[in-house]
Parts: sequence; C-alpha cells; structure tokens
Amino acid sequence: MNAIEIEHISKNYKTVSAVKDISLSVKEGEIFGLIGPDGAGKTTLFRIMTTLMLADAGKGRICGFDIVKDYAQIRQIIGYMPGRFSLYQDLSVQENIDFFATMFGTTLQDNYETIREIYSQIEPFRKRKAGKLSGGMKQKLALCCALVHKPSVLFLDEPTTGVDAVSRKDFWNMLYRIKASGVTVFVSTPYMDEAGLCDRMALIRQGNIIDTGTPAEIVAKYPYALLAVKGTPMYPLLKELRKLDGVISCFSFGDSHHLAYDPAKTQKENILAAAVAAGFKDCTAWEIKPGIEDCFMQLSEQ
Amino acid sequence: MWKYLLEKEFKQFFRNPGLPKMAIAFPVLMMLVFPFAVSMEIRNINLVVVDNNKSTVSAQLIEKCTSSGYFKLIDICQSPEKAQEYMDDNRADAIITIESDFDEETGKGTGLPLGIKVNTVNGTKGSIGAQYIASCIRMFLKEQDTGTAGNSTPTIDISEKYYYNPYMDYKVFMVPALIVIAITMVTGFFPALNIVGEKETGTIEQINVTPVKKTAFIICKLIPYWVIALFILTACLIIAWLVFGYTCHGNLLSLYLFSGLQIIVTAGLGLLISNYSNNAQQAMFIIWFFMMIFMLMSGIFTPIASMPEWAKVITYFNPMRYYADAMRAIFLKGSSPLDVWYDAAGLLAIGTAVVSWAIFSYKKTE
Repeated sequence: MNAIEIEHISKNYKTVSAVKDISLSVKEGEIFGLIGPDGAGKTTLFRIMTTLMLADAGKGRICGFDIVKDYAQIRQIIGYMPGRFSLYQDLSVQENIDFFATMFGTTLQDNYETIREIYSQIEPFRKRKAGKLSGGMKQKLALCCALVHKPSVLFLDEPTTGVDAVSRKDFWNMLYRIKASGVTVFVSTPYMDEAGLCDRMALIRQGNIIDTGTPAEIVAKYPYALLAVKGTPMYPLLKELRKLDGVISCFSFGDSHHLAYDPAKTQKENILAAAVAAGFKDCTAWEIKPGIEDCFMQLSEQ
Repeated sequence: MWKYLLEKEFKQFFRNPGLPKMAIAFPVLMMLVFPFAVSMEIRNINLVVVDNNKSTVSAQLIEKCTSSGYFKLIDICQSPEKAQEYMDDNRADAIITIESDFDEETGKGTGLPLGIKVNTVNGTKGSIGAQYIASCIRMFLKEQDTGTAGNSTPTIDISEKYYYNPYMDYKVFMVPALIVIAITMVTGFFPALNIVGEKETGTIEQINVTPVKKTAFIICKLIPYWVIALFILTACLIIAWLVFGYTCHGNLLSLYLFSGLQIIVTAGLGLLISNYSNNAQQAMFIIWFFMMIFMLMSGIFTPIASMPEWAKVITYFNPMRYYADAMRAIFLKGSSPLDVWYDAAGLLAIGTAVVSWAIFSYKKTE
C-alpha cells in the first residue's frame, strides 16, 4: 500500500486555479520531494492532503484513509509542519511539546525514542519561551512537535526556506534519520539543489506536475547536450548565444550560462568560435551533466 | 485533553503582558472613575443676572439661586447687552433678567417680569440648567407668599418623589449599566481577538491537524473569559457596596442569570467576528463598530423612550438593551427575573440567532 495516493486533485481560489488535476503516489518509507517555485501550488496541495482544506475535485488517500471521509483517522497518523513557525510563542519549549503530545493523546515519555535525537538538541532550552528561540531551534522544536505522536507520514512544507546552508544540511540529516525510523516524509522546497536529496520527487509548476521520478530518472530524461559557457561581458553573451543556430535554450546559472544545444546541428567548438567572433573576451565552454534545475527549466519551456 | 486545553488558555492569559492587569483595572475603573465621569448631574452652571430692579426682593432671588449650589454667579450687570456678551464668549450658561417692576409684581399672582436665557450649545446642561432656575424661582415665590401673610392665593405645591433612586443619584443609576458594558466587552470581544490571534500566528492550523475537536478547542477558549467576566461582575458589585454603599435590591443570583444569558449572546458574536476576520486589525474594527452601536442604542446613556420610532426598532436588535434594562431593574428596583421576562426572551432570541449563525459560518469556513 502506498503511503500517499492522490488522484486528479484540483483546487481553485475564485478565478485562480492553484492546483490542476494532480495525481501522485508516495511509497511507504521514502522521502518524497515536491519541488517548485513560490506560487506553484505546493502549500495548497499540502493543505488538501493534511485535511485542512477540501479539494474541488479529485480523491486522495493517506495510508489507506480517505482525505475527506476519514479525516479524523488521518489526523491521528500524520505530522504537519507548516512553512511558517506556528507554535505558541508564549509557551515554553517543554510546554509546547507537552501540549501537542496531549492533543494527540500521548506523552513525551511514550514517544521519547522517536524524537530523542532532535529533542536532545533543544532540551537545554526547555524552559525558554518558544518565541525567544533562534530560527534553527524553532525549527527543531516544530519538528519535535510534529513527530511527538509518532506519525506514519510527516508533511513538511518548505522546512528549509530561510535557513542557512549549514542548518539545511543538518536538517536533511535529520530527515534521513526520521526516514530510517520508518516514517514516510513528504517535503516541499523551492530549492532545486535539495531535490537530489529526495528518494523520489515531483516537479510542480503553476499547479501542474511537470515530471515525477527519482532524481536520476529525471536527469536521465534530459534530451539535449549541455554546456557551461563563460565570457565577458556576461549578459550580452547570454543574448548572443540564444541567437545561435542549434541552441535550444540558454540560462544564467550563477557564474556561468547553461546552454542546451542539439548535437546534430552544432558543436561546442562552433558555439565557442561564434562567441569569440562576436567580440567576447575570455570565452570558455565545457560539457556538463544536467542538474534538476536544468531539467526544470527545460520542462517549463514546453 | 480538555484540562490541558484550558490549562494552556489560562497560562497564555496570565503570561500576556496586558490582559491580567486589565481584568483587575477594568472593574476598578468602571466602578471608581466612570460613575463620576458619566454623571448627568449638572453643577457649576455659570450664571449672569441682569438686575434692573435692584430691590431687596431681587437680591433675595439672586441669593436663593446662588445658595442652591448649582450655580456660580459670574456677574450682576445692568445692561442685557453686557450679559449677552458673557454668553457669546461662552462664560455664561444662563442669564436671568429681572425687570424693574419685579418687587411690585411678586406675590400678586399675575405675570412675573422675569426672563431666563439659557445657552444650549451643551443641550443637557442647558435644559437641566433651565429646570434648576425654574425650580429655584418657584421655591422663592412660595417663600415670598408665606412672607406676605393674609394673601391666600391658592398655589399648587408640587413635590416630587423619585422612586427606586430617591435622591436621583446618577451614580447608582450608572453602576449596573457599567457592569453591562464591562461584561459585554470581556466575554464577547476578548475571545474574538484571541481566536483571530491564533489564526494570525497560524497555530490554529497546527491544532486543526490534531484529532482535537474544534468545538472543544473553541469552548476552552471561551471558558477563561467567562470566569473573568464573573470575577469582574463580582468585583464590581463588591466595589459598589464598599465604596458607594450600593447594594442590589433584587436577588443577586438573577444578576448572574442575566449575565449568563448575555454571555451566550456575546460568545456567539465573538465567534462570528472571528469567523469573518483574518487578522486582529479587522476584528478590532468590527468590534469597535458594534460596540459603538450597542452602547449608544442601549438606553444606557439616553432613554430609549425618547428615541424616534425607527431608532427604537433598531434597539430591539441590540442585546445590550435587554441586558442593561434587566440589570437596572434588578439592581435598582429589585425585580425578579419573572418581572423582566421580556428581557430574558429578547436575549434568548438574539442569542439563538447569533450562535446558530456563528456555528453555520464556522462550518462553512473549514
């Protein structure tokens, strides 16, 4: 049985359609990533799956329970951590955990093993008010509260947004440990570089799922050859490269341009020569393997 | 679980930097400061007299007026123009003009050569001031009558007796009304702000994904404010008794009964407001709007009987009207709940409507 199974879910807000005919399935015990930019419909999908909102159309099951009919059972077995810190800032760390444990009809002691590793990091501050914690600590506390009842599925809506690089790495390590304890993790992120960390993922754009699969599968589907190109000045170079014959697309990626081309029509040498001929200095180009972001850009183009 | 939800609410209440202090300050202010501030008793009416008669009789009249304690004699002047100037400068509230034949005409029972002018920029002060002057003059004339022996003009002696508030003490009239305002604010609007606050911080979402029933959550939110409301009611009654010596003429329990009915209405209203607002600012605006209408149309400050018909119709939809009426009747008159059954009926009707609407809209917003 799949942990999450949703079919043809749609949701409109007045005239805007936030989620269009989305179907997904998530296997038990995997980390599934929902990758997409802001406004793609990630949070809407989360709210539908966590029974906070009704979909306009479509069906869904979490661990076999229907997201509409069996919402009461679903609430017993899921943990949800919204994007925004939403615990009681005026209660202490300990009180927040105890409160949510009680709301789920359990206690911290009963499920201590589940959250021990994360809880041990915030335990020194257990008397402190949640509002007075640092960003990283707040996140750990929120994770503790979401895990305190030992859920079967953990929903994390953009947990790493606004978190520094080191803490993000820490956070993903925590997710692996959570996964190891048998919890299915459904996580969303706007950061493409985190996509490779998921077991499987779905790319979402403007309410549509544009691709699903393991990171390797998605990358393998990339149809073109890819170059990284550098030269000065950078921005006119980008516009010049886009005009070349055989170039499919060219986007700025940090300090270089990623250029997709059709190997049947042109070659690296031709492209480099054209750039030099157009008067750009220090031109270099090298073959690269596509990343998730390249795939996302290519899929968005279609 | 209920115990925990309640414990959390109380913890949050007592940790709030303002609320516990407000719960104490509210009844104290309501009872110790406001009864004086909202008093309709008029004192210190600035009086100017134009004395064209300048006889002992006119001097006695002026003496009579100033000794009553309600008037402050600004000036006795000769010309009406000078007196008018005082009034135009807002230094005089009332002018008494005594004509030159005043001493001769008194006691004859004919028309009295005396004029009263009142500044009615402040309507209450003006009309009450005019009444005071008239009653001063009436008393003065009566004394004059008995002074001139043998003259047996039949006079009608009007003596007023004020029932239920024999000294026309405005404060005792306001005490139950101020309790009404306090209870309505605390039980209706504080919980609304609290629920909207949870919406704003997103914690309500976090609660919604737990198996906790929404009704349990909401009721646990309301209970602390009910406790506080009953505390405020009790505190107000004790303060009124200790400081002013006012005691409730009716059954104390009926005060609590009507407060309970009012709480049902305000709880529904608070829930309704929180359903329709997404943040504290919106909620504040709606609360402010309702509170203004409730207070001004409740008969607390101005009698409903003197409102025009269409305004009276509006007051029938105002829960505060019924609550204030019942509280005053019980507190001042000692009415039993049966005597004011119509107030209970009004509160129940509004309560049922508001609570069902609140539940209906709450289900829809899910």
